[in-house]
Amino acid sequence: MARVLGAFSDPAAAARAIRALRAAGCEELRAAMPAPFPEVMAALGQPRSRLGLVTWPGALAGFAAGVALPVTTSLAWPLVVGGKPIVAIPAFVVIIFELTVLIGSITNLAASIALGWMRGGLAPLPGGRTFHGDRIGVVATVPDAELAERVLRAEGAEEVQRV
Amino acid sequence: VSAVHSPGEAFARLQDSVAAVPRRLGRGYWLLVATAAAFAVFGGWCYSLIVRRGLYMTGLQRPGMWGNLITDFVFWVGIAHSGTLISAVLFLFRAKFRTAVYRVAEMMTVFGVMTAGLFPIFHLGRPWFAYWLFPYPNDRGLWVNFRSPLVWDVFAVSTYFTVSTIFLFVGIGPDAAALRDRASGWRRRAFGLMSLGWRGTDLQWRHYTRAYLFFAAFATPLVVSVHSVVSWDFAVSVTPGWHSTLFPPYFVAGAILSGVAMVITLLIPLRRVLQLKDIITPHHLDMLAKLVLFVSLIVTYSYGVEILLSLRAPPSDAERSTLLYRATGHYAPLFWTMVACNCAGPMLLAFRRVRASIPALLTICLLVNVGMWLERFNIVVTSLGHDRLPFTWRIYTPSWVEWGMTFGSFGWFFFWFLISLKLLPIVSIAEMKEELAHLHPAPPAEAAHG
Repeated sequence: MARVLGAFSDPAAAARAIRALRAAGCEELRAAMPAPFPEVMAALGQPRSRLGLVTWPGALAGFAAGVALPVTTSLAWPLVVGGKPIVAIPAFVVIIFELTVLIGSITNLAASIALGWMRGGLAPLPGGRTFHGDRIGVVATVPDAELAERVLRAEGAEEVQRV
Repeated sequence: VSAVHSPGEAFARLQDSVAAVPRRLGRGYWLLVATAAAFAVFGGWCYSLIVRRGLYMTGLQRPGMWGNLITDFVFWVGIAHSGTLISAVLFLFRAKFRTAVYRVAEMMTVFGVMTAGLFPIFHLGRPWFAYWLFPYPNDRGLWVNFRSPLVWDVFAVSTYFTVSTIFLFVGIGPDAAALRDRASGWRRRAFGLMSLGWRGTDLQWRHYTRAYLFFAAFATPLVVSVHSVVSWDFAVSVTPGWHSTLFPPYFVAGAILSGVAMVITLLIPLRRVLQLKDIITPHHLDMLAKLVLFVSLIVTYSYGVEILLSLRAPPSDAERSTLLYRATGHYAPLFWTMVACNCAGPMLLAFRRVRASIPALLTICLLVNVGMWLERFNIVVTSLGHDRLPFTWRIYTPSWVEWGMTFGSFGWFFFWFLISLKLLPIVSIAEMKEELAHLHPAPPAEAAHG
């Protein structure tokens, strides 16, 4: 299997190249780009991130902590203040809400960093080149490198090279 | 950026323009930094007088035990508000004009909360016990009173600060990676740290876009909650002029008004000095000006409701008495200045010519900032100085120490904001590139090769 890299300046051209490569039977495609261009992401056809599976439980844990903290501490020192009940749920709603948002956000941050680092996320595209600036890089792992090169060039790649 | 032939060229020009920002900050910039630092140091010295000699250094006397310091707290929380509105709420509503301006608004939010959070501590009689505000296990088994709005404030402000900071730095990650590639020395190391291993691969973008959506979803209710919680510091009490269900929406609208006005106040000089007129265009200022106008109408409506409801009460009513005191008493000039700055001034923005005039827009927004500080002063001071017991009525006059801390807070805020111009990308490069790709589509491949 050979790896071919194409560099594009136009996200629409990169998306066309990805679709053409997939139509030509190439299944292993990767891209790097300076922004999450929707057309490129759609052409790659990747499934939606499962970040929510971590973030929402994190928010729920925050909710539970938001309930537990004021309730247990109020019961630990049951002092009546202003005639309110010891466990005054309306007054605790603020704490419950804030801890839900706080712990949910921190979980979301930690999970997104972890998922971004996992499965080779920290590695650049094959060839070691980065695409943070003005180009979109598309790497195809194909049995027929010449075909991939032809497709990439035909769709407007400004540079094509084997990596 | 407009005279380009391909998206790639537009991306490169945009990135160069943002990367050049630190180089465009000359001697005038360092003079401003030094001035801001001097104000902050003076404010710190004024505070040291309170620490050493006590709250007697302020003008606080019963019944007016809240004054400038609490006014400053509410004002800076309000200033911090619009960052999340612009970055999170407008993101969820897909308002494209936010792209060029939201980074400045987010920076302003973080430094605004950093400033606001200091004031409740300044106001404590014994600030070295500030940690008592947080629930922590202790030998006596004592816990904070979660039924108190002051504890709600601790949670609301610290959560807002944490989430705003996370939101700011998550947005900066891809931009820092882009700038790192061309930076050198300590700046390269700093950008490397901020980018958190960002490679810009499809795998990373997939999780990033989802994470950003979740952050926006978490941050959006915070826009409403933070100033609502701050308003409950007042509304939960029985003091006339404070005890009103109108307070949460009234405070949120006021916060957005002051915050957006501050964003415009910062953007106008920035786009000129940093040569960002191609990125932050008159269209962006026009949209923000419309937002100021819209929120000003809500604030004006709130003032109207407050006045009308009070006037419907019988003459002996304390609410009515306090309201009339605000409008006709010792602080009346401040009240009417507030009305002029927050209601009358922004109405001029209904005219396209006024919105298009940079000096007029800047003047109106500066006056809104003054008006919003006065609004908080009016709320805090007049109600306490004119409460239900006429024999305790007293006029509060801030001491020079309190004024020193008020001006010092501006120095503190601008010091961090100015320093961040050297360090952080002040425009979201990644999101701007996404927008530019669709503004500058390349010619079809056949034509390009044909």
